[in-house]
Amino acid sequence: MTRRSAETDVQAVPVRRARRSDGSPGQRTAARQVELMGDGGSAAATARRRLRRSLPLLMGAVVLAVIVLLNLLPGAEEDDRPLSPGNPSPEGARAVAEVLAAEGVDVVRVDSYEDALGELDAGPATLFLNDTRQYLSATQVAELAGSSDRAVLAAPGARQLTALEDEFTLLGPAPLDFGDVPAQAAECSDDDATAAGSLSVTGTVYSGDVECFPTAVDGPPGGAGDDSGPTTGGLYTTSSDGAVAVLGAPSVLSNGSITEEGNAALALRALGSAPTLVWYEPTGADVVSSGEGIDPRTLLPPWVDPLLVWLLVCAGLAMAWKARRLGPLAVEPLPVVVRAAETAEGRARLYQDSRSVAHAAATLRAAALTRMARRLRVDRSAPAGEILDAAARHSGRPRLELEQRLLHHTPTTDRELVLWAQEILDLEKEIRS
Amino acid sequence: MVLTGRLVLLALLGVVPVLLFPGAASILLWAALLAAVAALDLALAASPRRVGIVRELPEGVRLGEECRSALVLRNDTHRPLRATVREAWQPSAGAVDPEQAVRVPAGDARRMTVRLRPTRRGILRAETVTIRSAGPLGVAARQVTVPAPGALRVLPAFASKRHLPSKLRRLRELDGQSAVQIRGAGTEFDSLRDYVRGDDVRSIDWRATARRRDTVVRTWRPERDRRVVVVLDTSRTSAARVLDEPRLDTGIEAALLLSVLAEHGGDKVHFLAFDRRLRARVDSTAKGNLLSSLVTAMAPLEAELIEADWSRVPAQVRAASPHRSLVVLLTSLDSGAVEEGLLPALPALTGRHVVVVASVRDPRLEEMAADRSTAAATFRAAAAERALLDRAAVADQLRLVGAEVVDAVPADLPPLLADTYIRLKATGRL
Repeated sequence: MTRRSAETDVQAVPVRRARRSDGSPGQRTAARQVELMGDGGSAAATARRRLRRSLPLLMGAVVLAVIVLLNLLPGAEEDDRPLSPGNPSPEGARAVAEVLAAEGVDVVRVDSYEDALGELDAGPATLFLNDTRQYLSATQVAELAGSSDRAVLAAPGARQLTALEDEFTLLGPAPLDFGDVPAQAAECSDDDATAAGSLSVTGTVYSGDVECFPTAVDGPPGGAGDDSGPTTGGLYTTSSDGAVAVLGAPSVLSNGSITEEGNAALALRALGSAPTLVWYEPTGADVVSSGEGIDPRTLLPPWVDPLLVWLLVCAGLAMAWKARRLGPLAVEPLPVVVRAAETAEGRARLYQDSRSVAHAAATLRAAALTRMARRLRVDRSAPAGEILDAAARHSGRPRLELEQRLLHHTPTTDRELVLWAQEILDLEKEIRS
Repeated sequence: MVLTGRLVLLALLGVVPVLLFPGAASILLWAALLAAVAALDLALAASPRRVGIVRELPEGVRLGEECRSALVLRNDTHRPLRATVREAWQPSAGAVDPEQAVRVPAGDARRMTVRLRPTRRGILRAETVTIRSAGPLGVAARQVTVPAPGALRVLPAFASKRHLPSKLRRLRELDGQSAVQIRGAGTEFDSLRDYVRGDDVRSIDWRATARRRDTVVRTWRPERDRRVVVVLDTSRTSAARVLDEPRLDTGIEAALLLSVLAEHGGDKVHFLAFDRRLRARVDSTAKGNLLSSLVTAMAPLEAELIEADWSRVPAQVRAASPHRSLVVLLTSLDSGAVEEGLLPALPALTGRHVVVVASVRDPRLEEMAADRSTAAATFRAAAAERALLDRAAVADQLRLVGAEVVDAVPADLPPLLADTYIRLKATGRL
């Protein structure tokens, strides 16, 4: 709309007529009438200049892309999960895995349910299930335990224990003990535990057929029956035949505490009884879909994704359209802005900050006397007494009162200064009128 | 290369194929279509590098008035030019329509007119002209910024012109036509004429009356061909703003009124703008209209942030006018600046010339002095009183040295200065 109206403003003037009008005396135009054409460059030169100017930005973008790519590359990721056999940090369990491997145990690390089952079916093997996030269901855990010769479950959830053939119950976390954890004695019939003798760590307490390293807890969270008093369970609980062991204190395996007390003995004996150790750390992919949850993206029609991509492209084009300026910005040389009364304002703040009441009063008095002298036509250099005489004559007020108010009263506080200043201003107005 | 809104619309139209045939193929196809259309349009657009630009600018414009800047655009290509053209005036030039759509047929020329309403005095510049030439489809355009410098001289407003008729009338009253003028030194005998009622009886020439047997009066006219030197201070003190107008601009107004008045009064006018060196000089003896040469010289004046060197002013005044003159110094009466600069240099001027020091007074100081409502306001009042007392003391010192002092608020300074000139002329002190 605006473009149309602007177009009508443009007069259709052929160049010959325009030139003729330059010489006419009526038109006051500057003498310089040089025709300019182009900016002296070409499209290729402009492109080269743009490229050169945007070179640092391009290099930055390339560097950024390389960094992102390096981060996305697989394998470079560091294994930092707790109790992972590849993690050398104090929370990892690389020490146990390495020692077992050195002792001839084939440590197989798997991260999917199918692989774990396959490895277990391949031969006599021990399963170490470290499912900290509790991805697996009870049936999956039972299936794994059934197909392995010996299964060691690291701190499983109560839900995961329900389908096992043997009875295991989660009693609760061992009471927190700040400071040095006292060593827990085995006190059971399990060979591994007896060999270990004592543990240096605590964890979750389970009840089962054979409860080793007994620890008293405040009863199961659900409150089983009327037994609300403290019950006792084991940090290492095994079934009666020893085929399934629940390790309530998996941190015995960690690099940081493996060397303490009998931790190493329990770990190596519990995990190293078979020629193969399947070290299984489930992931979210192993979760059995129950058919209830559904990915909301599958409900959307198929054109949504391409549409979003296309709208993104359109948004980019719109940005390119709007971002381009019609030429460089025009520069305005701004003048200095100094207010003339600025010095007076500054002086006023100095007076106030230093509480120069007497000084301010003297200035106000001098100014008032000067103005009165001019008004009463007394010589400006005359002493204050003469001005007061004239003022008394003019206003009809007693001279003594004027003298008292003008000369002899000197305010000492801000409040007095304001009152006095107003008073002499009124007096001045009275004389002026 | 510039993309236009039409291309974005075309891209949005691509939503339809993407909806009908979802998938990467439709996206890529539509993107390829867009690229092809844009490339075609670019290839068919007239080259903005082959557009000839001729600037047509007025010589000057008075501040507050409107003028037109014209660009004659000549299309040197064989294709019609559909362009958006922007003339990059600096903001204070007040360009109303700096961006315009222009269509120029091949080999033809068109004039584009930009209305300017300047908001600042001085030399205002437009450095570049940008041409964005779109293709026939209008989806893509080529853009080139041509360095085409143009400068517009914005002259002072001369708002004090409205005082001129009344001052000129008073000047004419001095000028022989009326006999009420008292005889004095510095007035010259003009002529004899018949007595009319109302004439001053003291001006009756009794000897001529005796000869003519009719009452005859003498008329007098003030001296002519005197010299007036107006010195405008462009140093740092003239940058201060009084009522949101720099002292310099008020000084320019006062100098313009005085100069025009003095020229009508038959005197020669010299104008100097000075801080540490001469910024501008205009002499009425030179050819041409004094007013136009004055405003042209005054237009680019800016306050320089340096201290004025008053010791060199007497020499400058002597260079402008070697004879006894009326020297008007348009400066400020800030104590400190005057005591150190102007006061020591003044005796050299007052010895030879009649000196008038004219200064702008800030009405804000009086407002501050009258407000005593709170403690802060009272301290401000005291500070304002101190500033006013200092000004009065400086003015007294200047009077002691022999200078006349005109100290007035911005609106009153030009007429008061003119009055002072008329008074000095009437009393023959020029």
